[in-house]
Amino acid sequence: MGERVRGGCCPPMDLMRSEPMHLVQVIIPIESAHLTISYLGDLGLIQFKDLNAEKSPFQRTYANQIKRCGEMARKLRFFREQITKAEFSPAVISVTEADLNLDDLEVKLGELEAELVEINANGQKLQRSYNELAEYKLVIQKAGEFFQSALSSAEARQREYASNQSGEESLETPLLSEQEMTTDPSKQVKLGFVTGLVPREKSIAFERILFRATRGNVLLKQAVVDNPVTDPVSGEKVEKNVFVVFFSGERAKNKILKICDAFGANRYPFAEDLGKQAQTINEVSGRLSELKTTIDAGLVHRGNLLQTIGEQFEQWNFLVRREKSIYHTLNMLSIDVTKKCLVAEGWSPIFATKQIQDALHRATQDSNSQVDAIFQVLRTREMPPTYFRTNKFTSAFQEIVDAYGVAKYQEANPGVFTIVTFPFLFAVMFGDWGHGICLLLATLYLIIREKKLSSQKLGDIMEMTFGGRYVILLMALFSIYTGLIYNEFFSVPFELFSRSAYSCRDLSCSEATTVGLIKVRDTYPFGADPVWHSSRSELPFLNSLKMKMSILLGVAQMNLGIILSYFNAIFFANNINIWFQFIPQMIFLNGLFGYLSVLIIIKWCTGSKADLYHVMIYMFLSPTDELGENQLFPGQKITQLVLLLLALISVPWMLLPKPFLLKLQHDRHHGESYAPLPDSEESLQSEPNHDSHGHEEFEFSEIFVHQLIHTIEFVLGAVSNTASYLRLWALSLAHSELSTVFYEKVLLLAWGYNNIIILIVGIIVFIFATVGVLLVMETLSAFLHALRLHWVEFQNKFYEGDGYKFYPYSFALLDYEDE
Amino acid sequence: MGFLVTTLIFIVVGIIASLCARICCNRGPSANLLHLTLIITATVCCWMMWAIVYLAQMKPLIVPILNETE
Repeated sequence: MGERVRGGCCPPMDLMRSEPMHLVQVIIPIESAHLTISYLGDLGLIQFKDLNAEKSPFQRTYANQIKRCGEMARKLRFFREQITKAEFSPAVISVTEADLNLDDLEVKLGELEAELVEINANGQKLQRSYNELAEYKLVIQKAGEFFQSALSSAEARQREYASNQSGEESLETPLLSEQEMTTDPSKQVKLGFVTGLVPREKSIAFERILFRATRGNVLLKQAVVDNPVTDPVSGEKVEKNVFVVFFSGERAKNKILKICDAFGANRYPFAEDLGKQAQTINEVSGRLSELKTTIDAGLVHRGNLLQTIGEQFEQWNFLVRREKSIYHTLNMLSIDVTKKCLVAEGWSPIFATKQIQDALHRATQDSNSQVDAIFQVLRTREMPPTYFRTNKFTSAFQEIVDAYGVAKYQEANPGVFTIVTFPFLFAVMFGDWGHGICLLLATLYLIIREKKLSSQKLGDIMEMTFGGRYVILLMALFSIYTGLIYNEFFSVPFELFSRSAYSCRDLSCSEATTVGLIKVRDTYPFGADPVWHSSRSELPFLNSLKMKMSILLGVAQMNLGIILSYFNAIFFANNINIWFQFIPQMIFLNGLFGYLSVLIIIKWCTGSKADLYHVMIYMFLSPTDELGENQLFPGQKITQLVLLLLALISVPWMLLPKPFLLKLQHDRHHGESYAPLPDSEESLQSEPNHDSHGHEEFEFSEIFVHQLIHTIEFVLGAVSNTASYLRLWALSLAHSELSTVFYEKVLLLAWGYNNIIILIVGIIVFIFATVGVLLVMETLSAFLHALRLHWVEFQNKFYEGDGYKFYPYSFALLDYEDE
Repeated sequence: MGFLVTTLIFIVVGIIASLCARICCNRGPSANLLHLTLIITATVCCWMMWAIVYLAQMKPLIVPILNETE
């Protein structure tokens, strides 16, 4: 704890530092363990450490209970599947039943599952026989139509064949006739047939195979069934053909049956007798209607069952998940040797101590335990987790920062400034108050319907937009402001605040298009003068303005970043960082780019024509040269020399002293470790665990290389980061040019035709282009660039971001985990 | 309205906003400090933007040259 003395530099501010945490140990009597964990889960302010990390999930104490919960969860999933299959709307009515016992629930779920499975099986069986009968009926109907003719033709063929054979036989030698005679009867007597249904897409192949297998000794008749038939085996609707195959001989029959099986063709018995056919049809129809009523009754029963399950499903589901998580947590606790109590260790914010103790006390009372749970704070050198107490407004901004890296414990949080600077930099790139109002209306809709939307399940993109609604709100407000500054409303300027400061040089206004206007009044008081818009010198003026603005804003934000590193150094009482990091960094950045910013402002104030590029470049190349016409203020040469010298000094200042001082500090610290041993037993116990973390090997070379990299990164970064801020200019230019194009080339062009239809088309195109390109794509790209400016240019000045997040054990967070 | 007057207006607006935040949502000293920081940052950002554009137009080096079509 020693190194983390909290500096009293500044009063505490919400969100600036993560909550102070401590490692706590709770010793819970085993009889009240379940209730205690349940209460702590309701509270949701403690993150348990896994004390059984070396044990496999099966070796842990409560493995059985978890298995039970898993089984119940499986049953619940089965119910949900069935409910969604039956297309029930999952009832949201939450009937808060009195405390449901897990054991009762288990029994109940088991019963319900058995019942449902049985109903399903019966239903399937019934459905199958129903489908079979339906097919059978079809076969009888269709086959009956062509059966007689087919049969007669087959018989004719058979007879012809027989006579052919006998004719051939007569030509044969008498020696073979005996043999032929023995086979003859079987051939002649059996003229069989098979009827059934075959899937239509297989029917051609079916026919071909039949033909080949029997060498053409079959007659196949097919009839198309108009409506798709439900296949009894798969239960799917399939297009089918009714077929009848006539054949002769037992072997042919066997072959045909095998082929039928292979093609998934269902065979049905068929009576040749017409009377019998009619009778069968009657029978089948009767049984069909009978089955139908049975199936309907079964479906109603199943529906009722699912309805009752659906009503309580959510409650059961929550209970099971909760229980599972409780046992999961209990498994993370280590069990005492006496098996009478469980020992929990975990992180909790210091402010929650009272609440946790209350919960422990309540659990002891409610479970009628004899012994209270023991709550104590442990001392450790481990890095605690980072926990920011955010609300619905700040959480989205904090997530922007966390997406880059979770803050180190108690490190200055860039999220505080991101809340303002992020939307502001976005708006610098998105400055148009018309577009800003559109964005504002969209996000206001989300905010007003917040309650309703937050309970719904939204799509991926919608979810993200909804989560960032307050970010978008601020982005919209700032873009309305910057739009007013840029004086653009869908790229149209308005003289809102006063008349333009410029007017013609003379009455005839002849030089307005050649030499230009002249400034006659005071400067336009708020934002850009409307006269610039669509003038020939608009781009040169706006480019110069926005470029310089980008640099000024960038230098300001980078300075803020370095100042935050100062607050960090003060907070962690790290004097080395103040003297050998913060101060030289400030000098380096401001000696070069701070000076550039000052020059920009002086140039604006004096109206000097000095070339700032020239000044900056020759400040390095030949600092002793006379400035001549580029001089902006007296004594500029000396100032530049001093600044350059300071910047040059600050580089080794950053690089060299810090590693040596760290080494010195380490050596001194090492000397101190020969102090008398602490004699209390507790410290002896805890020391060996944490020593390995405390005294890491001090590698001077490593520290030095690290510092070298850090210095090079800062020096080069100062240049490249400043250049990087020029993206503000580029994006803002792109935005205003695009919106000008859409306004002039679509809306004004359509207006010029004096035709109502063209005008309407033009307006529609304009709206789609504005929404699609400017409001969606430009918003995204400006968002991403603002994100980069914060993550890289701002945060690399002070932010370490190597912490880990505080994940409390909380029932409120359970919902998000599984799905 | 000169540079200083408008700057003063920005300062006044900033002070009013922080007072409003203080009165309307007073949630303890640390939350108030956060609100104050946010308001100051926002005011400074807005003021900077305005000041930059204002200063840039004060002593113009380039003047608007109208397009010939107009």
